[in-house]
Amino acid sequence: MARARWISGALLAALVGTAQLSAQGPTGTIRGRVIDGSTQQAISGASVMVANRGALSGTNGAYVIPGVPAGAQTVRATYLGYAEAAKPVTVVAGQTANLDFLLETQAIGLNALVVVGYGQQKAGNITGAVKQVTATEFNTGRVVSPQQLIESKVAGVQVVDNNAPGGGLSIRIRGATSVNASSEPLYVVDGIPLGNGAGGGLSAGRDPLNFLNPGDIESITVLKDASAAAIYGANAANGVVLIQTKAGRNAPHVTYSTSMSSSSVTRVPQVLSPAQFRAAVAQYAPARVSLLGSASTDWFSQIDRSAFGQEHNFAVSGAGEHNNYRLSLGYLNQDGVIKGSANNRLSLGVNLEQRLLSDNLDLRVNAVGSRANDQFTAGDVLGNAVSMAPTQPVFDPTNVTGYWDWSTSGASASNPVASLNMSTDKGSTWRSIGNLQTEYALPFLQALKAHVNLGYDATKTSRESFTPSNLASQTRQTHGQLSISNNTQANTLFDAYLNYAGALNVVPGNIDLTGGYSYSQSHSEYPYFSETGIASNLLGVSGVPSATNVNLGQSVVDSKLISFFGRANYNLNDRYLLAFSLRRDGSSRFGPSNAWGYFPAASVAWRISQEPFLKNIEALSDLKVRASWGKTGNQAFADYQQYPTYTYGNAQAQYQFGDQFVTTIRPSAVDPNIKWEQTSSYDVGLDYGFLKQRVSGAIDWYTKKTSDLIFTVPVAAGTNFSNFLTTNIGSMQNKGLELSLSARVLESGAHRLGWTADFNASHNANQLLTITTAGSQVIRVGGVAGGVGTTIQVLEPGQPVNSFYVCRQAYNNGTPIEGKYLDSLGVNTVSSCDSHNLRAYHNPAPTWMLGHTSSFTYGHVDLGFTLRAYLGNYVYNNVASNGSYNALTNGGSPSNISSSVLKTGFVVPQYLSDYYVEKGSFLRMDNATVGYSFRYRDQPIRLYATVQNAFTSTSYTGVDPTAGLNGIDNNIYPRSRTVSGGLSVQF
Amino acid sequence: MNLRAFRAPTVVALALLSLVAVGCTDTTVQPKSTVTSANVFNDPSSYQAFIARVYSGLAVSGQQGPAGNPDIQGIDEGFSQYLRLYWECEELPTDEAVIGWGDIGLPEMNTMTWTSSSTMVVAMYYRIYVQVVMANQFLNETSTSALAGRAALSPALTTQIQQYRAEARFLRALSYWHAIDLFGNAPLVKETDPLGSTPPKQANRADIYNYVVAELTAIKDALPSSTAANYGRATTQAANMLLAELYLNAGVYTGTTAYPQALAAAQAVISSGAYSLDPNYRHLFMADNNTSPEIIFAITQDGKRTQSYGGVTFLAHAGCGGSIMSAGTYGIDYCWGGTRLKPEAYAFYTAGDKRSSYFFTNGQNVAVNDITNFNDGVAAPKFTNISSTGAQGSDPTFVDTDFPLFRLGEAYLIYAEAALRTNANTAQALTYVNQLRERAYGGASGDITSAQLTLPFILAERGRELLWEAHRRTDLVRFAEFTGSAYIWSWKGGTKAGASTDAHLNLYPLPGSELVANPNLTQNPGY
Repeated sequence: MARARWISGALLAALVGTAQLSAQGPTGTIRGRVIDGSTQQAISGASVMVANRGALSGTNGAYVIPGVPAGAQTVRATYLGYAEAAKPVTVVAGQTANLDFLLETQAIGLNALVVVGYGQQKAGNITGAVKQVTATEFNTGRVVSPQQLIESKVAGVQVVDNNAPGGGLSIRIRGATSVNASSEPLYVVDGIPLGNGAGGGLSAGRDPLNFLNPGDIESITVLKDASAAAIYGANAANGVVLIQTKAGRNAPHVTYSTSMSSSSVTRVPQVLSPAQFRAAVAQYAPARVSLLGSASTDWFSQIDRSAFGQEHNFAVSGAGEHNNYRLSLGYLNQDGVIKGSANNRLSLGVNLEQRLLSDNLDLRVNAVGSRANDQFTAGDVLGNAVSMAPTQPVFDPTNVTGYWDWSTSGASASNPVASLNMSTDKGSTWRSIGNLQTEYALPFLQALKAHVNLGYDATKTSRESFTPSNLASQTRQTHGQLSISNNTQANTLFDAYLNYAGALNVVPGNIDLTGGYSYSQSHSEYPYFSETGIASNLLGVSGVPSATNVNLGQSVVDSKLISFFGRANYNLNDRYLLAFSLRRDGSSRFGPSNAWGYFPAASVAWRISQEPFLKNIEALSDLKVRASWGKTGNQAFADYQQYPTYTYGNAQAQYQFGDQFVTTIRPSAVDPNIKWEQTSSYDVGLDYGFLKQRVSGAIDWYTKKTSDLIFTVPVAAGTNFSNFLTTNIGSMQNKGLELSLSARVLESGAHRLGWTADFNASHNANQLLTITTAGSQVIRVGGVAGGVGTTIQVLEPGQPVNSFYVCRQAYNNGTPIEGKYLDSLGVNTVSSCDSHNLRAYHNPAPTWMLGHTSSFTYGHVDLGFTLRAYLGNYVYNNVASNGSYNALTNGGSPSNISSSVLKTGFVVPQYLSDYYVEKGSFLRMDNATVGYSFRYRDQPIRLYATVQNAFTSTSYTGVDPTAGLNGIDNNIYPRSRTVSGGLSVQF
Repeated sequence: MNLRAFRAPTVVALALLSLVAVGCTDTTVQPKSTVTSANVFNDPSSYQAFIARVYSGLAVSGQQGPAGNPDIQGIDEGFSQYLRLYWECEELPTDEAVIGWGDIGLPEMNTMTWTSSSTMVVAMYYRIYVQVVMANQFLNETSTSALAGRAALSPALTTQIQQYRAEARFLRALSYWHAIDLFGNAPLVKETDPLGSTPPKQANRADIYNYVVAELTAIKDALPSSTAANYGRATTQAANMLLAELYLNAGVYTGTTAYPQALAAAQAVISSGAYSLDPNYRHLFMADNNTSPEIIFAITQDGKRTQSYGGVTFLAHAGCGGSIMSAGTYGIDYCWGGTRLKPEAYAFYTAGDKRSSYFFTNGQNVAVNDITNFNDGVAAPKFTNISSTGAQGSDPTFVDTDFPLFRLGEAYLIYAEAALRTNANTAQALTYVNQLRERAYGGASGDITSAQLTLPFILAERGRELLWEAHRRTDLVRFAEFTGSAYIWSWKGGTKAGASTDAHLNLYPLPGSELVANPNLTQNPGY
C-alpha cells in the first residue's frame, strides 16, 4: 500500500495545483440563503445548483453562484434529509439575483438524497430496495449500540440483542443466508467498510459497533436487495448497512445532551421455592434430607439490581462558506441489571470539510475514536442462581471465602454470589476509524468528479479474566484460572472512483456513471495467555502467578480484498429508470482457481405517477414499480481455508517417546478451491404515495437463493484429515414480503395535534435446499446445556435452518408422560426418543415481524412510542428442560431446578421433548417517550423521559422470547425495563 | 492558471491511479502463524513431530491439550477421544460396565440399542479413519520420491524415518483392526489412494484382515526394539501382539480360524523375554505404570504434557462418584460419577482374588436398578492417578496413568486359549494361567487344574484379568455370547433383567452420515 499512498498524495498535489475554467458569454450572479423551513435555522453545506454550476451554502446558509449565464434559469437546492427545492429565476447579465430557499425536512421525501454505495441518489429514483432512517426517526432512550437505533424501523430487518448492557447484537436482513459463514450485513461507516461478522470488526466487549457513539450518527441506510448492495460484491450477500456520521452545519454552536437512566429486571427464571425444594428432596432424594440446610435464599434477588446509567454528549459544530466542522465528545456509562456487568464508553468524533479551488475540490476528514470498557458477569452466575440450593445461606464465616458453598468432590452447584464477587472478567476496546475523502469536480467537465478515499480502522483490545482457585467450583477442577488476550487489528482502505452525471447528447435522458477501484487490507494479531491451577489469588488480572498449566498463543492473520466496480444509472424523464452495476472482487480468502468473482446486478423502475396520464391526479403523488436482480457474495469466513496447513500441538498435547515428550504437527482438512457463497436475488417492489406523500410506503416481494454455501459437512471417511470439511456445498433460499406505510395522520401546526404513524410488516420463509450433492444429509446443531453433546436443532434439506429437532411428547390428560413419545408420524407411542422419532419442528426465526411507531405533537409537547411484534418464532426453554428431579440425586449435592418440573413431574430430563419448544410470539412496547421542547434565549431546549421495554406480552414461560438468534434460552441475561430522563440544550 | 497547465497533471494523476488499480491485483496472502505443506518439512524435526501425531491420535483429542482444537467434529471434544470411544464400544454393551450419564449417544451404549446415528458409534468410526489418513499421509510425505524432492537429510534421520514408516504402518494396522472388529466391511484406504473427494470403495472384512496381517508381517522386524528408550512406541512385540489378536479372532473376521498362528504370535511375545508379569497387579493401572515390566504397548498419558478429557483421565474420573467415594483417594480432584460394574462382572470374582480388591461397595448396590444412579452398581476405580509408592500423579485433573493396550498377561491368555482351541501345548497354557492366578491370589490358593482349564474358564478368566481393559466385547463375540440368548446380563437389550439380542448387533452400524457421503458403502445387515 505504500505505493498507493504515494500515488494518491501525488494525485492530490496535482489536483490542488490546478485552476478553474472561466465561463463564456454574458453572466450574472445568484446569491441567497438556505434555511430550515421549520426551525428557521440556517443550513450550511446545502448544494445549490444552476445550469451545471453550483455552490454550497456556508455559515448562515449563505451561498453565491457567480458566472451564471444570463436568462431564465431553474435553481435547485438540495441537502441530505431535506426535500429538494427548486425555484425559477431570471439572471440579468452583470447583476445579482437574490434567491432564498426554505428546505423542509423530509426523511423519505421523493427528492431527498439517500446515501447509497459510492454515492447518493434521489429517493424517488432509486430502483432497488433501500431504506434510510435519519436521526429524527431513531429509537430513543438508552441506546448503547448503533444498531438499536433502527430496531423495528425497517421492514425486513431483524435486530437481535442479548439484553446485556451494550449487548452483542446481530442483524438479519431478509433472513439468514448462511450457516457456517456469517449472516451479518456489511457495515460501512462514512465509506469505510468494517470487518465481517456481527457488529463488524474486533472487540473485547459485547458488540464491535459499540465503538461508534449513536449520538454522532446522522443516518443509517439499509441496502436490502442485491441491486442496491451488489456494488459491495463479495461482502454484500447479507445486505449492507451504511452509517453516516454527523457533519457540521449552521452557525457555530454547541450542543449538550445528557440522560440518566434506571433499569430493572423484568423476569427471572422460575425455580422451586425453599419449601418446594425441601419437599422435593424429601420425596425424591430422601438420603439427602440431611444436606438441606435451614436458610431461605432467593438467589436471583442476590445477583440482580437496579442499574444506573448516564450519558453525556457534547458537540461543537458549525459551517463556513467553504468549510464545516463538528467535534464531539461523548461519555456513556451503563450498568447491567445483573451485578458485575457494565459498559462504558468515552468517544471522540471529528468531521471536517474544506472546499478549495472555487469549491471544486472537497476535502473531508471523518474520524471517530473511542474506548469502551465492558465488565462481564462471570459465566456461571446465572446458571448457579437457578441451581444453587435455596435452603442454603449466602454467607458462611467459617469458609475461607466467607461464602457458603458445597464441599464435595462431586459435581455441585456453587454460590453465585461468591463467583460474582470474587471473579473478574473485563474487556477494553480502543478503536478508531477515519478517512480522508477527496472529491474533485473537474473544472473542464463539472459533471465529472474524481473521488479518492483513504481510510483506516485500527483496534486494540484487551480481555482479562480471573477466577480464584478457592471458589468452590475451582476447588473441584481447574483450580483457578487466568486468561489475558490482547488483540490488535489494523485495516487500511484505498478507494478511487470517477463519477459522471449528466445528460446524454445522443439520446434523451440522463446518465450517472461510476467506476472505480478499491484496495483494502487487514492485519490482525491475536496473542493470548491463559493458565489454570494458579498458585496465588492475590494478583487478580494484574500479575502472572506460577501455575500448573500455562497456555500461550499467537496468531497473525492478514487478508486483502481488491475490487473493481462500476455502475450505470439511466434516467429518462424521471419516468423510466435503469441501473446496472458490476463488481469484480479478488480476495485472499479465495482459492487460487477461484481468486476473482464477478457480482453483477440490474434493476429497472417505472414511475407511473410521472406519466402524463397520471401526473394530473393530485391525490397520487408517487407510484413506482421496481424490479431487480443481482448476484452478491459472502466471504465472511475464516482466512487461509484454502491452504493445507500443519498445526502445531501445544505443550499439553505432546506424545511420549521413551522419556521424551514430542510436540506434534497435524495436517488440516482442506478444500483448496474454497470461494465465496453466492446469493442470487430477485426483488419486485412498488412504491406509493398519496396526498403529497402524506401517505406513502412500499411493498416488496423478494426471493434469494444462496448457493455454494460454505458448509462444514461430513466427508467420506478416509479422504481427508478430519471427518468434516469446510467447503462450498449446499444451497438455501429465503422468500419474503415486506410492507411499509407512513402516514401523517394529523398534520402538525402551532396549536394543532399532529400525529404521524409508521407501520411495517415483513414475512420471511427460510428453507435449506441441499447440503450435499446427493443423498439426504442431516446435521445436528444447537448444543444445549444438560448432557454433553445434546443438540436440539437440525440442518435438514427442506426445513428452515436451525429447525428444532425433537420428539413428539406423549401426554396423558394434558400432562406429559415421562419417557413416552409418539413416533415421527404421531401415531404410535414409543419408549425412547431416538433418531427415528426425531423430526424438524418449528424454528427460532419469526415468520412475521411487525413494527409500529407513532409520534404525536401538540405545541411544545411530543409523545411517541414504538411497538414490535413477532409471530411464529419458537424458543427452546433449556432452563425448564434441565428441571428434572434427578438433579436432586445426581452429583455431589442436590441442585435446585426450574419449577417447570411441578408440571411435568419428570425424574430424568427429557431434553429432546417438543414440550420445551415454546411459542415465542410476542408484542412489546420497545419504547415510549414524552418530550417537552421550548426555546430559552432563542435557543432550543428539550426535556424528555423514555421508558424502554415498557411491556412484553407473550405466552412464553422463560425469561425472554427474544432469546438470541438461535432460539435457545439457557440462562440468558434477563431483559430489563429502563426508564430514562434527559435534556438537550444548544447555545 | 490555465487549462493547459491543469490538464497534464490531471492526466498524469489519472494514469497513475489506473496504474495502482492494475498493479495492486495480487490477492495472495500466505499464512504466517501456521506452517503449510509447502514448508513444514523444511524443518527436519517435522518428521518426528508428524509420527508422534499419528501416535497421539490415540491419546489426545486435538492439537490443544486438554481441549480447544479438536481432530474431529460433530461431537464434544472430550467425548471424541479415541481411547474413550474405543473403551465405550468395547465395554459398555457387555456384562462388565454401565455408564450413568444421559449425554447424547451414551445411554444406548449400555443396552445395545444404538442406531447408525448414535454419536459414540459415529465418532469411533471417524476416529479410526482419521488415524488411517494421518498414517497414509506420513507414508506419502516420507516416500522415496517425496524425500528426494527435499533437501538432503542426515543419514541418521534417513534411517530413523524408515523406522517411523514402519510405525505408521503399525498404527494404521491397529486402527484397521478396530475397523473390522467393530464395523466389519469397511473402506480400505492406502497411502496410494488420492486425498480429496473421491469416496473409497468398501472392502470385505476378510480382505482388510489379510491386508493388515500382511502389513504387520512385513514391518514387524523394522519396528523399534523393546527398550525403555522406545517406551510409548510400537515395537516388534507390539506387532506380534496385534497379530495374535487378529489371529485369535480370525474366525470372526474371515470365517476361517487361525489359532495356531495366534499361539505362535503370543509365543513370540512371551519368548522374546522382553516382558515379565508385574508382581503388583494394581501397578499396571497406576500413575507410574510406565515402569511396569509387563506392558507391551501403551497409549501414554501425562498429567502435564498429554492432556485430554478422554483416555485414562476419563476412566479414572468416571469411575469415581457418589457421596462417599473421595476423589483424593484416587489421586484426582473430582469425581465425574459415571461408570460402575454390571452385577455379572462383580460376580466374576471369588473371595481371595485380589484383582477385585479396589472395588468400592460402601453405599453402592450390586444390582443396577437405575442406570443413571451412580449408587446402583459396584464402583470399580481400576485406573487411578496414584503411583505404586502412594504419590499423587503430576496433575489431579489429568492423569499420568497410561493405558495398557497390550500386556504380557493377555499374551498368556491368548496363548492359553489358542492352545485349548487347538488342543496342543495345554500344559504350558496351564502354567501361564496359573502364573496369573498366583499373582491374583498372592499364592497358589487360586491355582486351577488342567481339567478346569476350559474355554468357558478362559472367557471368565479374561473377564477377571482384563476387566475394563477394552477387550470384553471382542471376547464375547468370539465366544458367540455377545448377542443371542446364550448369555443374558443386566440391561442387555434394554431391560433390567436382560434380554436376547439380535445377531446383527455383533457389528456396529456404519454411520448414517458416512453412507450419504460415500455412496459406495453398504450398511451392515440389520441396520
